[in-house]
This record gives sequence, structure tokens and C-alpha cells, in this order.
Amino acid sequence: MKKLGEIALGIVTSIGGFIEVGSLATAVQAGAAFRFELVWALVLGTLCLVFLVEMAGRFAAVSKHTVTDALRERFGFNFFSVVFLALTLVDLLVLGAEIGGVSLALQFLTGIGLRWWALPVGFAVWLLLWKGSFGVIEKGASLLGLVTLCLVVGAVLLHPNWREVAAGALPSLPHKERAHYWFIAVSILGASISPYLFFFYSAGAIEDRWDESYLWTNRAVAGLGMSFGALVAIAALVLSAGVFGTRGITQIARYDQIALLLTPVLGKWGFRLFAASLGIACFGAALDIGLEVAYRAAQGFGWNWGEDLKPVDDAGFASVYTLALLFGVLLVVVGLDPLKLTIFSMALTAAVLPLSVVPFLVLLNDERYMGKHGNGWLGNAVVLVIVAISFVLAIVSIPLELLGGS
Amino acid sequence: MDLIRDVLDKQLVDPEERRMGKIDGLVLEVEAGKPPRLEAIEQGAATLARRFHPRLAGWVEALGSRLYRAPGGPARIPWSKVRDVGIDVEVDLEFEKSRLYAWQEWLSDKIIRRIPGAG
Repeated sequence: MKKLGEIALGIVTSIGGFIEVGSLATAVQAGAAFRFELVWALVLGTLCLVFLVEMAGRFAAVSKHTVTDALRERFGFNFFSVVFLALTLVDLLVLGAEIGGVSLALQFLTGIGLRWWALPVGFAVWLLLWKGSFGVIEKGASLLGLVTLCLVVGAVLLHPNWREVAAGALPSLPHKERAHYWFIAVSILGASISPYLFFFYSAGAIEDRWDESYLWTNRAVAGLGMSFGALVAIAALVLSAGVFGTRGITQIARYDQIALLLTPVLGKWGFRLFAASLGIACFGAALDIGLEVAYRAAQGFGWNWGEDLKPVDDAGFASVYTLALLFGVLLVVVGLDPLKLTIFSMALTAAVLPLSVVPFLVLLNDERYMGKHGNGWLGNAVVLVIVAISFVLAIVSIPLELLGGS
Repeated sequence: MDLIRDVLDKQLVDPEERRMGKIDGLVLEVEAGKPPRLEAIEQGAATLARRFHPRLAGWVEALGSRLYRAPGGPARIPWSKVRDVGIDVEVDLEFEKSRLYAWQEWLSDKIIRRIPGAG
């Protein structure tokens, strides 16, 4: 019974974890420009994420290590520091994008420009981490995150041609704007397969003291939670195809266009609900990423860490998330376009995926850590193939998109 | 025991399981005619930097002594203090006497404690 409760909570948290500025922005871009053609990228990315999250939870439950701890132990400091720098850099960009997302939601609701909101938003995230009320807040934010289900309601009310949506789940070659098509596909893959998500998940499993009796809980949470999350993202894509695509708006160049995603279906309330969804989802993600950056430093260097410690007792940990949040705020304050920042950091995530995923798979196949619970061939194959596809697409399409000057 | 596999880069904990940094380096004693002997484990930024390049270690040390003048804990912990090598490496040394504690306390005193709500 207790486990059922944990599964339910885990699923709710996962929806909140999956839906953030990256998954929303990329899905909306895809729907507007290519209707349902890019649903496959979301399906593929989610499939990979389900496997990776399940592995991260299993790794923590069986080996009692977080993934980061094990990366350093198994591969040594020199290799670890390369992974550490790459992932932290990407995380900082994504953190800026999330703070931008919350600020933007507040701009929609108040009319005050988003650059003014960046500092208060960053401060609010920081305060929650600083006061250590993180556990309560994260669960609260996840519950509030259920507001994103309004996108699913909106998509259903739009009566799209579901057969056409399902057909989009199969990969197809683009009919037009080839370079842009692949770039958006890569951004979707990067937004779905966020390394911070499964690293964070393994730290959570250690905090909750999982053991091998949690393996089924873990499977259920990973499979159902991430799939529900993907459902919300697909709903955003369907809405965008119906609302923007059919009106001939194929390029979402500014975020204020996105704000109208739900308005044709739900009217004035649609506008408010969308702003709330965006704000809450991004706020939850900013909390997670701020914490993940600090977790990674603490676990990589062997410091004390934990969401319940006071800042004076883990000075290093507290300093890292403080600096990370300051940096994220700075990105928005200096006026970086949050939409471009988001899409670009998602594509970059896809490009650096092999750096974290390949050593991660080595750990999952190492008997000294996993005993008899190591990976099967299916998991290895699915993850490797999808990550390889993402990487190749990223390497080819990022330069093309930058040259294309979008 | 395989030193690189089982000891280097492992988590160091005190007898109460408090984390006190990773094992950043190993010190071996080499005497003529005898097999090398593990003398101590080492911690610190300079030790880490040396694993990239010896010159980098010099720079880190110079920078450290200019910026940071806190009482340091022992950078070297004699191997005789090691009580158990498992998932973590346990040493017979209080967390309060570790190098990690020394610099985190320094950071805490200089900055963190001055921000409201830290304690």
C-alpha cells in the first residue's frame, strides 16, 4: 500500500519533471512548423528517457551509489572532470531558460517585462533551497504541475485528426525546410532526454534510501511517469499544429505567440491556464536543476549533501546552487532571447548526450556495482541507438541552423 | 586489493559515516630492494591538479596560498588510519579534523553565516 502511494507520487513528480520550458517550447515549434510530423521525435526521446530513468533508479537501489559518485570512482577524476564541466555548462544554460520561462509566464499575467522578473524568480528559487524546505516544496510544485494537464484537455477539445497524429509517431522525411526540421527534431530529443533528470532521480533514490525491494516501484514510476509527461508534450504539439499551423503561423519566433496556445480553445481562461502551466513547470524545473548542479559538485568531490541540511553545515553545496542561480538570472537579465536560449540549450543537450550516457551504460553493465541486476541487451541497445541518432543529428543540424541564421 | 580500482577516487567517511571528501591521490613509498608500500592517501585541489599536469599543480598551490589562508586539515592521511575499504573508505579520523571540514568551515564563516537564514 505504501509502495502504491510512492508510485502515485513518483508519477506526479515525473510529469512535473518532464514538462518544462524545453519540452513545451520545442513541441510548440514542431507543431506550428510541421504539424504532426515530428511526434516521432517525442516518442523516441521518451522511450530513451524511460529506459535511462529506470536504469538510474535501479543503479541507486542496487549499488547504493548515485550515478555521479560512481562516474568518478569508476572512470577516475580526469575523465570525470570532462563530463562534469560539459554537463554543468549545459545545466546552467537550461537553468537560465527555466528562469526565463517563469519570468515570461509572469510577464503574460502582469504585463511587466520578463527581464524585471528574472531576479525575483531566481531569488524565490534560491530561498526555497536555502531554507531547506525543498522536500515539501518539490512535492507541492509537482502537484501544482498537474495544471499542465489543461493542455491535454485543450488538445482533446480541439478535435484533431487522431489518425494523423498517430501517423506522425512514425519517422518521416521532411517535405520542406529540411535543416530546420532536423534541428527541431534534435531539440525535442534533447528536451526529452535531459541528463539532469536521471541524475537527479538517482540522487532522490539515495535520499529516500531505496533498496532492491524498490525495483518494481522504480519500473512503474519510470515507465508511467515519463509516458504521462510525454503525453502532455504531445498535447502541446497537437494544440500548436491546430492553433498556429492551421492559421499559417509556421515560425514561432517570439514567446508571446506561444501564450495564445490555449486561447482559441479555452478563451481568456486558456490564456491564464497556459501562463500558470508554463510558470509552474519551469519553476519546478529550476528547483531541480539548481539542486542537481549542487548535487553533482557535492557527489563528485565527496562533500556532504542533502536537501535537509542547513547551509552552514554544507557550505560548499549551498554556495554552488547560489552561484548557479545567479548565473541563470544573469542570462535572462542581460537580455538573451529566452526562446533561442531554450531551443539552443536543448540541441546542445543532445550533442553532449554520449558523454554522460555511454559511461553510464558501462556502470549499468558492471557486475561489481550491479550484481545480478545489470542491464539486459534490450535496454543497452535501445539507449545506445537513440543516443547515437540524437548525437549525429545534433552534430549535423546545429551548425546548419546557426549558419541559416534563424 | 587493486589500489586504482578500489581506493583512488573513493568516498572517504569518518567512523560516523560523515562524508569527508574523495581520495584524490595515493602516496607510495619506494625503497630500494623492497616492494612499494602504500604510505598515505592524499586530498586537495593541488593533488587533483597534479593528475592533469605537474605544472598545473604548482599554479593551484600558488593561487591557493594567496587567496585562502584557512587552517587546513591534513592533506595526507596515513594509511594506518584506514579502517575499512568497501563502497566507501572509512578512516579513523573525526570529520571535524578533515581538510573538507576546514575549508567548508572557512567558507561558512566568511560568507554563508553572514547571509540571513543560513543557520
